[in-house]
Amino acid sequence: MSKSMRYFSFILVLTLAISSCKEKTASEETETEEQLVERALAIHDRVLTVDTHADTPLRMIEPGFDMAERHDPRETGSKVDYPRMKEGGLDAIFFAAFVAQDIRDDDGNTRAKALCLQMIDSVIASTEKNSDVVGLALNPDDAYALEKEGKRAIYIGIENGYPIGNDVSNVEEYYNKGVRYITLVHSSNNDLADSATDQNGTEHGGISEFGASVVSEMNRLGIMVDVSHGNDSVFYDAIKLSKAPIIASHSNARSVTEHQRNMTDEMLKLMAENGGVVQLTMLADYLRTAPPNAARDSAMTAMRASITKPISEMTDEERAALRKSFNELNEKYPSPPATVTHVADHIDHIVKVAGIDHVGIGCDFDGGGGIEGVFDASEVMNITIELVRRGYTEEEIEKIWGGNLIRVFKEVQAVAEELKTEVGS
Amino acid sequence: MRVLLTAFLLAISTISVAHPLRLSLCEVEYVPKKQLLTVNLKLFLTDVNEAITFDPYSKELAFCEPNEADNANTLLMKYVNQFFYVKANNKKISLKIKSKKLSGEGENTALWIYFELEQHDPLKSLEIKNAVFTDLFFDQNNIVYVHAKGESKSLMFTKKTPVHQLRF
Repeated sequence: MSKSMRYFSFILVLTLAISSCKEKTASEETETEEQLVERALAIHDRVLTVDTHADTPLRMIEPGFDMAERHDPRETGSKVDYPRMKEGGLDAIFFAAFVAQDIRDDDGNTRAKALCLQMIDSVIASTEKNSDVVGLALNPDDAYALEKEGKRAIYIGIENGYPIGNDVSNVEEYYNKGVRYITLVHSSNNDLADSATDQNGTEHGGISEFGASVVSEMNRLGIMVDVSHGNDSVFYDAIKLSKAPIIASHSNARSVTEHQRNMTDEMLKLMAENGGVVQLTMLADYLRTAPPNAARDSAMTAMRASITKPISEMTDEERAALRKSFNELNEKYPSPPATVTHVADHIDHIVKVAGIDHVGIGCDFDGGGGIEGVFDASEVMNITIELVRRGYTEEEIEKIWGGNLIRVFKEVQAVAEELKTEVGS
Repeated sequence: MRVLLTAFLLAISTISVAHPLRLSLCEVEYVPKKQLLTVNLKLFLTDVNEAITFDPYSKELAFCEPNEADNANTLLMKYVNQFFYVKANNKKISLKIKSKKLSGEGENTALWIYFELEQHDPLKSLEIKNAVFTDLFFDQNNIVYVHAKGESKSLMFTKKTPVHQLRF
């Protein structure tokens, strides 16, 4: 065994010792860390892995950005490209077309639609350009079919219903483009629903009348209703209004980490009754409450106290030197990171409260997602390793990584078929 | 073995730090009827304070507050001009603040800076640089929405690609 491999084993054994575990079989009890990692990676390779939320279309509109090239996330900030999806064993992903909330009038709506279509078209163009390694996926089974071909499945979602404007017929236009889920609202209230994070508070008391008609149209077409970013009332309204199970494409558990974007135990239980799924996200603030960083805070205070010259009198050179010092200080005292352990803690909790059939993964890469150990698409197998370490079986991991989402997706399509039959009869 | 080595590197990684989304928004609009080019920059206030005063929670400049510092706009524009410009028909526009406002609360407080510029000649091209806060954060994303000639377009600006050109 090489020196590095011994260290590797030591680190992982140590982690094993402090991790919470499910019951293990006799052979798993005697398994070395190397064997465990090998077993986990084999499971990761066999199951369909689906990430339901990435804001990568924002990257695709960056001129010159090539999804076929591997990018260094610590140089470029980019978290997803096709080579890294392959490296991480990520089989399928939903690229979300995101348009920031702006003025809610006819001009604003028209522009939002144009921007949304630009994003969607950029995803479609990317799949066409890279058809040797990826394929545009429209139906649940497409992910499995593309996996068999050795290609990554690219699904399309919309984050923020703003580009629907006040015209429900836009929903069908987006469906025809390939959109298979719509997040009703983003960080501010829109015409459809209330946001969890709008400083003005609730406006519609959850989902508006127009939003209800959008949900109904999504049911008719077979588009998944996504309640992430909505306030709690949006969740309860969606449960009541939607004829099909719903999803939270990127949300975590509130009793593990207190955050208004996360879901309470009551909501998790209702999600289970609804047959829907909560897709766990890799946003540090939703995964753990940031611990204090006293060493950095006191070093920062000391550095600021040492600035004696008024900022307005500093030369450009002096400012640049000071900026460099602050940047160095930040590097010296990094914030304690969120880790894959936090991810598994949330999964454990959701499984306990809602059951194994109602949890999945939606990393929010390129939208702020990325933690230590799951920093980008190339590292998602570390989630599987941690789940195996905690005693999750292959069957359970298959559900978490994609089975649950695909089940909901199929049910959403089945409801759409039933609704068409009802109309036709 | 390659996979195991990858896992090893991940297991001992101490470099990774959780990064929230580093984002700014900007809208550039050409209004030919009014012969105007408008620019609306929306920046997180904590980022602005960090960039100018080296303290995200500084009250020193008090943007848009009754006690706003006399030199707040000067310092703000000194920073903005260093990292942001708009060229219309290859001519760099002189940015003068027409208005500014705050929106949101706490960490989510945004500072909006509005510029309005006369554009008498028909707009044929735009060149935009938006590298705000790339001096602070390596993963800063600056989205610019451009509305001109009946079309809307999104552009993404990063530290690596801080300048984009559009022709009409």
